[in-house]
This record gives sequence, structure tokens and C-alpha cells, in this order.
Amino acid sequence: MNYSKQIQDIAVRLFTENKIDVFVGYRKNVGDDNQTPFIFKNPALCDKLVFTEKSTHNLTNYLTNETTKSKKVGLVVKGCDSRSLNLLLTEGQVKRDNLYIIGVSCDGCVDEKNEKEARCIACVMQSPVIYNEMLGIEKEKKTYTIDADLLKLKHMSLTERADFFTEMFSNCIRCNACRQSCPLCYCDKCVIDQDSSLYHNGANTTSNAGMALMTWYLHLAGRCVDCRNCERACPQNLPLHLLHKQNEMVIYENFQNHQAGMYEKDRGAFYKYNLSDPDDFIM
Amino acid sequence: MAFSIFHISNDELHKLYEDIIKNNETYAPVEHSGDYKFKKVNSLKECNTDAPIKTTASVKPLFFPQTSAIMHYSEDAKGIKIDDPKEDVLTHKKVILGVKHCDARGMQVLDSVAKWDWQDEDWIKRRENTVIFSTLCVTPENTCFCTSLDYDVKTTDAYDVLVVNDGQKKLLKVCTEKGEQFLEPYTGVLTKLNGEGDAKLKAEFTKFKNAFHLKMDYKEVNAKLQGAFENDGWDFESARCVSCSACAFVCPTCHCFKISDEKVRDKGVRYKSYDSCNQKYFTLMAGGHNPRTQKYRRWRQRGMHKFVYYKERFGVNLCVGCGRCTVKCPVNISIFEVVNNVANNI
Repeated sequence: MNYSKQIQDIAVRLFTENKIDVFVGYRKNVGDDNQTPFIFKNPALCDKLVFTEKSTHNLTNYLTNETTKSKKVGLVVKGCDSRSLNLLLTEGQVKRDNLYIIGVSCDGCVDEKNEKEARCIACVMQSPVIYNEMLGIEKEKKTYTIDADLLKLKHMSLTERADFFTEMFSNCIRCNACRQSCPLCYCDKCVIDQDSSLYHNGANTTSNAGMALMTWYLHLAGRCVDCRNCERACPQNLPLHLLHKQNEMVIYENFQNHQAGMYEKDRGAFYKYNLSDPDDFIM
Repeated sequence: MAFSIFHISNDELHKLYEDIIKNNETYAPVEHSGDYKFKKVNSLKECNTDAPIKTTASVKPLFFPQTSAIMHYSEDAKGIKIDDPKEDVLTHKKVILGVKHCDARGMQVLDSVAKWDWQDEDWIKRRENTVIFSTLCVTPENTCFCTSLDYDVKTTDAYDVLVVNDGQKKLLKVCTEKGEQFLEPYTGVLTKLNGEGDAKLKAEFTKFKNAFHLKMDYKEVNAKLQGAFENDGWDFESARCVSCSACAFVCPTCHCFKISDEKVRDKGVRYKSYDSCNQKYFTLMAGGHNPRTQKYRRWRQRGMHKFVYYKERFGVNLCVGCGRCTVKCPVNISIFEVVNNVANNI
């Protein structure tokens, strides 16, 4: 999979036609052949842009970063990334008119060991669901599956699952790399960081890590697109995707097969109401 | 003062380590989820004294923990009472095996700020009661640049004993008085070398230095950065930073902390935990002013503190070239790349 040349050409054109102030894409790392997000305003740097199976990072995270706020942005998205973009648009975090979206119909990404990522093997939406122009051939939506790791979690008893997650929380150093890398965590001041928070006093203890991660888990319900920015960011190698895949499964099973960001103006699992919604659990 | 250089076989070194572990509270790199962290060990089997730098956490938490309870208090009808301090396990006499040189140098660099205008008693006591064994790295990673900075791995006294490869054997280079005294009881199994020890060490150090991928002229970069405050390179280089704290928390020399109180009914604990200048609200002041709301200002502060300000104040560079920040950054921002690019952007 290689769309480097096409993306370089589009970026040059967008700058020349004054359609964008800043471009957000990928470039090669200096020290190895992995890639890193590349954000720039100077059109002379367009030839550094690349796009291959190593372009794994979800760049929509930068739409709520001060580097692109209120600017006209050219952006590269894959299938998964375009879903988080849909949610950012619905949630009013970025204006559609400010974006030129280059959507890539993705064949799947590889990790640092050049092995196809587990999330890409199970990918349900390879093609972008929103774009100004698409690269590659449109692919069909695939069925949602539950993988072996998640099944194992599903079949744990409550105490086993509590132990599993407590162990995870005890290794968290509260660096916030996960939260800052998540495209859908964009609150200027996180509830966890509020100075007078009753739920979290600021110390980097296990119980506070649990509080932070559980809050994040709940806030991402019906919104996580499994881009794995979080897990890739975590310096402690926490299996964060299990936290969110677990949630995705619960949402899918209980909210009429809902999947995050699949179409424009998707209002998520929680912030829409229908008269036919079951309310047998409301007292 | 010339300290001893010993020769020891690999087997004898393992026996030496086992003996140290048996007779001292010993910490060493222990594997967990693909990374190594310094934990207390009861046998050599549990650890790897030669763990790769890229996946080995800093030894800093043994002197300045991630979170520590600095005060316990309770409240009753008469008022607030501060409890007697609890035992600080980290001040026990201990030995740490397998410390990287950059890491050991990092601890030495932090001694300056711990003994500055206020004596950090916890830090000082923990450092005093520790013997550090370091193993000379054979293959530097593509993120390492310790040999480009202002310290010499060959002559530094940041560690007490340095273990160096010598073909099928090992050399033990004593670097401090503490190290000399520590190895006293073991001189039976150690062959003391005279002149030939220096020659062997020199050869190994040259091989080590030549293996580095990243090299820079420290003096030149430090000089150029003095005038780099208004440089627009900071903005470009920090564009993809997400303002988390991963780099600061894995760094051997970052030392900012925050204090928080956790009180439940009538009992409370005051905690000291890691904090980082990367965060947007790090410099938020009472009254609402925040001088570093913009990301490039925070990154400029980071780069300048690591390569200019600390050197100005204490005479030693704060960054020790371990490269962990680059390895652990969610978007692989390399401080080496940033400071060099900014310095060359003048």
C-alpha cells in the first residue's frame, strides 16, 4: 500500500490554491523506518509526506490540538480515522468547511515488527466514511467480530476481571499519554484534573489510576473507533484496547449493533433518544 | 586517586552477584510486560543485569518514587495531629545492579538540585546508602547519545563499580571510594590488574564510543541555544507534541513534582507525585494567569532546561542522553533532533 506520491501532489495543490493553512500527514522517522505525524505550513516540505502500511497513527487527534485550531487543515485519514472524524464533527469540535479530507481506503497497517495489527485483521470499515477525495478502491463494510482476548475477558468471573484490571491500573504511571493521544478526548481540562475533584486528588496512586481509566472508559462508550493511539502511546505497555473493546462489545450488544462514527452526523449510542427505546430498566 | 581494576571470569561474576544479592538488599532490572523495571530481587535468575536501555526503566524511582506519602495526619475534636513518619524503605542500605551509565549520571546530576538551596533529606539519605553497579553498554541504541554530552563514561564517578566486557571475561573498574570498600571482602576471587587494565579499558571504551549512531557537538549546540529563546524552530519541532507527560515521567533527570492531599473522614495523607512542564496547566497560577498556554513555549522550556538553564546554574547538563523520551513519546519526538534542529535554525 503506497499513496505517498498522490498525497504529496494533493498537498502541493491545496497549498498552491490557498485551500489550506496547515497540512497533517505522515513522514518517516529519522532513526528507523516507522512513521510519525507530520504537521507543517511550508509547502516546500510536501515531498516529505508518505503513506504506507506503516501509517498507523490516527491523525484526527490533531484537529483539537492548538496546532490546527481555527485553521484550514488538509488531513489524511484511513477508515478508522474517518469514523473518529465523524464524531468530532457531530460533537462540534471542528468545522467541516475548514477541512480538506484525503481519505485512504486502507489495506491494513503493520506494527513495529512489520506484522499486521490485530485491529486491522478485524477491521470493519477499511474505506473512509467521509472525505473530499478518496485514494484506493472502496471496500465493503465487514461484520463485527469478537476476538480471543476479548472472549477470555468476557468469560472471566467478576473477581477475576477485577483482579485483571487492578493489575493494569497498578502499572499506570498517570502520564496521560493515552488520553492526550485519543482523538475523542478533547476536554480542555479533564474532569480528573479539576483542582477540587472529589474523585481524584491528583496523586499518581493505583486507585487514582483506576479512577482515571474507568472515567475515560465510560466517556468513550459508543465513541471509541479502536485506532489504538492510546495503546501505542502507553509507556508502560498497558493493554488499554481491552478496556475499550470490552465497552464496544457491550454497546454493540445492547444498543442495536451500534458502532461508533459509521456515518456523518452519527450521534453516538448515548446522546440520541427514540420513542421506541426500551425503558424497562427505568423505575 | 587511582582505584582498582579487577579481572573476573563470567562464572565468578555471577557468583559475586549471587553473593551480593544474598547479603544485601539488592535491586536489579526485572522483566514485566516487555519492559524492565528496577525491583528488589532474591536471586540472579529473577533479573537481567544487562537489559537493553530501550526497554529498561530508569532507576530514578528508587530515589524519587512515582508517588510517595510524605505525611500522614489525623483530625479529632482537639484539632489536626501529624503522625510520626513511617519507615522509608528506600533509605535502607542497598545495592543496585545493572544500572545504565546515563541513568547513574542522571542521579548524580540531580544531586545538584537536591543539595541546593534546600536539602532534600530523603534524596540525600537514599543516595548515600546505595552502591551502584553499572554494566558498560555494548551496543548503543539508535536513540542513545550519552557520549555526545558533558560527561565521560570512562572517567565518571556516577557509579561505584563499572562492569566491562573483556573477551570471555569481565573487567571490574572501581570508580569511587565506596566501590573500593564494597569490593574489599571479595578480593579473594578478583584478580587485581596493574597497567594492562587501563589499556584493555581504553580499547573497550573506544569501541563503545565509535558504535554510536547519534553524535553532536555539545559545546556548539549549548552555545547556539543560549540565543535561541525567540527561535521559531521550537514551534515547528513541537507541532506534533500531544502535551502528555510520558517523556518527563520516564526521564532519569526530570524532577518536578506536585503535592496533593487525600483525606477520608478523619485521616489524611499528603502525597508527592511526578508532575511535568509539558502539561498545559503546569504553570497555571492562583489568579488565573498561565504564561505557557501555548505548546511551543512549553517545549522551549523543556529543551532549554535540559540543555542550557541547568548547566548555567549547576555546571552539569540536565539531559544525559539516554533516549528514553524518544522511545516512549507517543509520536517519537527526539530531544536530540529538536535541540540540534533549533540550534541550526539560527
